[in-house]
Amino acid sequence: MASSTDHTSESQHLGPSTADKLFMFFLLLVVIAVTLLGVVNYKEALKTEASKSNGEAWVAWLTETGTTRFEADTQHPACKGGVKPAADAKATDAGTWGACLAHILATTDLKDQINPFFDKTPHFVAACVPSDRTLMGAILLEDLMPTPPGSATPFVASQLVETDAIDYKMQLRLSVCDKGGYAIKVAEFEF
Amino acid sequence: MQTPTKQDKFLEDLDVKAILGQDQEVHIDRNLPMRKWLYSWLLDPHIPGNFQKDLDKWISYLIIGNLFSLMFEHVPAVYEPYKTWFECFDIFSVAVFTIEYVLRFYLAPEDEEFKTRKNARLGFVTSPFAIIDFLAVAPFYLQAFIPIDLRILRLLRLLRIMKLFRVLIPAIAEFKELNKGRTFRQKVHALVFPSNHGGTMQHIFEVFIGVWVILSVMAVILESVKSINYILHLQFVILDAVAVAIFTVEYCMRIYSCVEEPGYKGAFLGRLRQAKNPSTFIDFLAILPFFLEVFLHHLIDLRFLRVFRLARLLKLTRGSDATAVLVKVVVREWPVMGAATFIMMLLLVLTASLGYLFEYDAQPEKFENIPTSIYWAVITLASVGYGDISPVTPMGRAMTSVLALLGIGIFAIPAALLASAFSDELVKERDQLKANLFAILKDGHISEAEAAIIRAEAKRLHLTVEEVNKLIEVVVKEHELEERNPLPIHKIAENPALAVEHYKALLGQIRQLGVQTNEAQFEAAAQQGARLSSNELDLWHKIQGKA
Repeated sequence: MASSTDHTSESQHLGPSTADKLFMFFLLLVVIAVTLLGVVNYKEALKTEASKSNGEAWVAWLTETGTTRFEADTQHPACKGGVKPAADAKATDAGTWGACLAHILATTDLKDQINPFFDKTPHFVAACVPSDRTLMGAILLEDLMPTPPGSATPFVASQLVETDAIDYKMQLRLSVCDKGGYAIKVAEFEF
Repeated sequence: MQTPTKQDKFLEDLDVKAILGQDQEVHIDRNLPMRKWLYSWLLDPHIPGNFQKDLDKWISYLIIGNLFSLMFEHVPAVYEPYKTWFECFDIFSVAVFTIEYVLRFYLAPEDEEFKTRKNARLGFVTSPFAIIDFLAVAPFYLQAFIPIDLRILRLLRLLRIMKLFRVLIPAIAEFKELNKGRTFRQKVHALVFPSNHGGTMQHIFEVFIGVWVILSVMAVILESVKSINYILHLQFVILDAVAVAIFTVEYCMRIYSCVEEPGYKGAFLGRLRQAKNPSTFIDFLAILPFFLEVFLHHLIDLRFLRVFRLARLLKLTRGSDATAVLVKVVVREWPVMGAATFIMMLLLVLTASLGYLFEYDAQPEKFENIPTSIYWAVITLASVGYGDISPVTPMGRAMTSVLALLGIGIFAIPAALLASAFSDELVKERDQLKANLFAILKDGHISEAEAAIIRAEAKRLHLTVEEVNKLIEVVVKEHELEERNPLPIHKIAENPALAVEHYKALLGQIRQLGVQTNEAQFEAAAQQGARLSSNELDLWHKIQGKA
């Protein structure tokens, strides 16, 4: 076992020496620096949390609407189920995700959402890409299509684009892109 | 009947358990009054072997448990599903703390601190520790009568941490006493490095660092579970920042005070040597990812660095002698292991090449080239056999059968080498302890300092009381044997100082022979039949001082 020896020349002066004071000052600086960096990390983490909250709000709205949108007197006719759009439908046509999205962004509280990373409304993306830092806080909405029994994966995920039909009961997955550009899955739900 | 020797008497009187500080027998009179008897068993800090230390230790664990419980209560995703468990734990903690408080209150008249006062119990109730103990449990009972805001209640529950002062304050007092008349740097050294000046405080410091290592490593592992990270991401960020702050301060303290360690003198070179020391380098690696990620995340994706935070686990090996022995063994056996590795590599390349040669035509997609075949060769030789790539040609299968059998032997060599070297090293260390015991027992007495050495060595080598007893018996017998019979010449020759002493003793014996024998008759006998050569006779004359 190592043992301490009293071989220093400073043993005569027992109070803190100049070197000791410098060390204490350095230690204080280190603690302040780490605290500041910790605060920076915490603020960045808060932004990710806010993005997650945005995603959770979308999930809550879509899930709630999903339970009533097949009813005749649904509150959100633009998102009504069972309305089959034409094969070459445009994003604004009834029965498409584009029409529903436009309705949501025009009439619901979701229009007021802010992407904390850029102080702008969060946008929908095709995928979260770590190399693309402009995607931080963006929302990724995917349609989960079940695969035939016996397949290696239970479903195939594809981005829900504006021209996609929403006339059937859909299985969706919503994710948000974090600070590093990676997707954080918020929820899988029925719409 | 054989009469007992002084060694037998020594062995009879020897109490190895006492030397090793194990199972110290507690001497508490059963006939003491109930209160005094209870105090002696539970709270008296001056009776070694009673339950006072254990009680303090378990109360400390419960306080730390309360701190974590309080932390997780702020996370609804964790608190809500397990609300009942949290409440049960709180009730259990309050029950234990209340029993402790009542016990201390009842036993206060026996406590040295209060027994001299007019009213010992009043003295206890108004003492700072008792006030902290009271505040730790009071809010729980208070909420039964007065509605208290949950947040204020939780804040008041934080006061339970202050109960730790009951352990900390005596440790600080002991640390101050041990470091009286020492410089600031020496005190820092005593706190971070094991030494005779560290006492309980150094132990607390090591436990504190150990707890944070375990916490931060657990956080890294749990962060990889997406569902947990989703809920506790903020808490993980805070925990990591606090852990890095603690480890950075520890690192700075080590680098600053290392010059007090033997072998690390020198303001710059000593510290550089300490920084290059493997355990200190691990400390550096433990904090590096945090700083790199903060400063460089704009340039490159440094998420992979987070895995390196697991290096913090290696910090726990600082106190482990087993790791040091393992490193020593690997370094010692490196040349042999290098040779074994070389043979392994040779066999690997050969197997991969033959695999490619025999199988390429049959399965070009699997045995595409030699580098691709190396994966198959490793899996085959190491007896893993995933089965994703396997030979199909008769030649390939025949070769695989032979090589798989060869692989078992070749891959086992390094493991066998290490196991045998490890065992050798342990035997060596035990021999070293035996040699130390030989020196210690030379005077037939074990002093307190010598007992401390035996205790430390026994702990390091994980020896039981029986094993130490056996070693001491062997050493005592060797001493006895040494007293009866002189050492054999080859043993003397091993030690130059002993060899010189032996030579002097022999010269003395020859001189004594010269004095006591008849000189004329000796000369005649030596020359008769050339019993001694002329050189031998000249040497005799020289030793006798007649040449």
